[in-house]
Amino acid sequence: MSAAHHEEETVTEGPKVLATRGRVRTVQVVRPNPHDTSFLAATATGLGITLKHFARNLFLPLRSAKSRAKAGAPVDESWKNEIETVQYPDEKVTYPERFRGLHRLTLREDGAVRCVACMCCPTVCPAHCITIVPEESNSKSIEKRPAIFEIDELRCVVCGLCVEACPCDAIRMDTGVHAHPVEDRADAIENRESLLGRGVRSIAHQGGEGPDWRATAAEKSPSGDVNR
Amino acid sequence: MSETVTLTIDGQSVTVPKGTNVLEAARTLGLDISAFCYHPGLPVVAQCRQCLVSIEKNPKLQPSCQQVVGDGMVVHTTDPASTLARKQQLEFTLVNHPIDCPICDKAGECTLQRLYFDHDNADSRVDTPKVHKDKAVDLGPHIVLDQERCILCSRCIRTCDEVAGQHQLEFAFRGDHEELTTAPGEQLDNPYSLNTVDVCPVGALTSKDFRFTMRAWELEATPSVCNGCATGCNVEIHHKNGRAWRLVPRHNPQVNKYWMCDEGRFTYHSAREERLAAATVDGLPAGWDRALASAAKRLGVFLKDASQVGVVLSALHTNEDNFALASLAKAWGAGHVYIAGKPPVPARADGRLRVADVNPNTAGVKAIAEALGLSATPAFELGTTLPANLRALVVLGDVLPGLDAGKLRELEVISIAAHERGPVPSARVALPAADWLEVSGTITNAQGLVQRMHAAFGPPGQAIPAWEAVVRLAHATGVKLAWTHPREVFKDMTAAVAPWKELVWAREARPLALRFAGSRG
Repeated sequence: MSAAHHEEETVTEGPKVLATRGRVRTVQVVRPNPHDTSFLAATATGLGITLKHFARNLFLPLRSAKSRAKAGAPVDESWKNEIETVQYPDEKVTYPERFRGLHRLTLREDGAVRCVACMCCPTVCPAHCITIVPEESNSKSIEKRPAIFEIDELRCVVCGLCVEACPCDAIRMDTGVHAHPVEDRADAIENRESLLGRGVRSIAHQGGEGPDWRATAAEKSPSGDVNR
Repeated sequence: MSETVTLTIDGQSVTVPKGTNVLEAARTLGLDISAFCYHPGLPVVAQCRQCLVSIEKNPKLQPSCQQVVGDGMVVHTTDPASTLARKQQLEFTLVNHPIDCPICDKAGECTLQRLYFDHDNADSRVDTPKVHKDKAVDLGPHIVLDQERCILCSRCIRTCDEVAGQHQLEFAFRGDHEELTTAPGEQLDNPYSLNTVDVCPVGALTSKDFRFTMRAWELEATPSVCNGCATGCNVEIHHKNGRAWRLVPRHNPQVNKYWMCDEGRFTYHSAREERLAAATVDGLPAGWDRALASAAKRLGVFLKDASQVGVVLSALHTNEDNFALASLAKAWGAGHVYIAGKPPVPARADGRLRVADVNPNTAGVKAIAEALGLSATPAFELGTTLPANLRALVVLGDVLPGLDAGKLRELEVISIAAHERGPVPSARVALPAADWLEVSGTITNAQGLVQRMHAAFGPPGQAIPAWEAVVRLAHATGVKLAWTHPREVFKDMTAAVAPWKELVWAREARPLALRFAGSRG
């Protein structure tokens, strides 16, 4: 039954069969009309639409001034809001809040890098574009920090998984900046300094009790002693 | 056959030798009862209470590591009482644990992490501040302690006592202020101290050598055998990006049990140093073809009367490398055969794992030379009595004690070595070879055990396994050695060396990604 159904389907979907002789089938070939393939009518219609918008935009300031004068309001530039296009390099559209742009590394309250080089982001990165070399920091509360933190923005697929994986709110993609055009591939590699250069202070708690939990723990503790 | 005992665990009947504990009996059934303080190589203390199980006709839960099996015993490991007990015990263990997994080196291979996911997997119910202890406490030359992470299982204390025979660690204070410290007047500096890092079920003890370099889940493990001394401890090479990051012991009840010495762990450093990565002629990079042609030309003069040619086998190279060179020496009819190795270090021998002979394959080279009927003399005799008719020397390995550079330059020295040290800088032709982390082959330890090593990664540059370099040199001098794989060398070798007749070449081991390996320690 299913075979018959399948056959029926192929017949209806394929070209119309005029005659079948053995394995040879004569089918009807439908060729488009010349006036369709020339696209003359479609081009004219398209140009008409373009002209319509052109004319509308051309007289927008006049219309706007006229209607505002009628309403008794002063003439202004608000008519620009009705034009869809922007003068790109000079003006830019604002991106949605969750747009994923260039990475940045956030800072702690004391200005040090928040990243603890836990390697979660290079582990989860599907493009293997993050390279971290950790080192021991001189801070006793957060012992580890990145000595080298590099992101190859050419390789990055802008998926945002590194931001999801980060347990410290140390890496973010909320700069709203595109990856810059570069003349040399090596220039597309963002290093620790350039990532921190875009950095902001994060207010998320770190180390469970915040970055200076040792000092605050002594205040909170009834005996004033952190260790015993 | 010793006495056996039959008991029932979770409805399955199991027969084990008398005196076995319930935990081990369950493991033979594939039931993994959780535990922190129990380690099969250490005395039982039943300290962590993580392995509680219910035993019928016993009113209270019993620690399965300490409970010896009895005939007809009925054990339940998944009943509500013991499951709840283990879950609650885990919660207790986690009360003061800092949960700083992102910066903890053990994360990814941590027993506490694994058991948390297996047993508890719930949010913390603790709303009081955790007890804070010292972090990054320097315990000795190789180890740093994080007292907050310590769960007080005492495995490290027992490891020092049992493996090194030195009491260097202790607990101090009580209750939730209890902490691990060094014993009075001691520091953790015994030659087996890094075993404490392996057995630590959490990240409390970390190795300064490995600390903050790699995450466990980034590494791959390849089984091999330590080349630090004649004991031949079984190890895992943990490697990534074509280099080793640490060596850890691999269980072998006949050789090293669960342990290895600190010195052996650090041998991977020297494996990367001073590498010879290109074939050289007169100290300049030449490439294989020119180097082989040059070696053949230089040797050809003396091979007409092969008594002028000497061959130095190496106690630091595999059986296959040595068998290949010994076969070549025999085919040439070389007049002199020597065995080179590092001089013994009597201070190392401690009756445990460390022995005085720091060459991994002394027994193997001797057996091969004997089997091929070559009268080999120790190479250090070259320094005292250099044979008058010796003109050319083919040296395997980068160790040749006794001969200084001046004397070496009087000879036509052809070197097959992994490193540019020892006799190699004085050699007329140096052929680059793979180091022990990069070779697939066998070595023979002091007990006479032939153990298999696996290549963790490829050799650098133009280097190839030494047996293959020997084959190329043989072809250049007109000797046909038809080996294309270490397995074939091994096959011919075991046919030639009588005590090794029964041996079978083990299949290549694929590196195991540690992210799939569960916990370690």
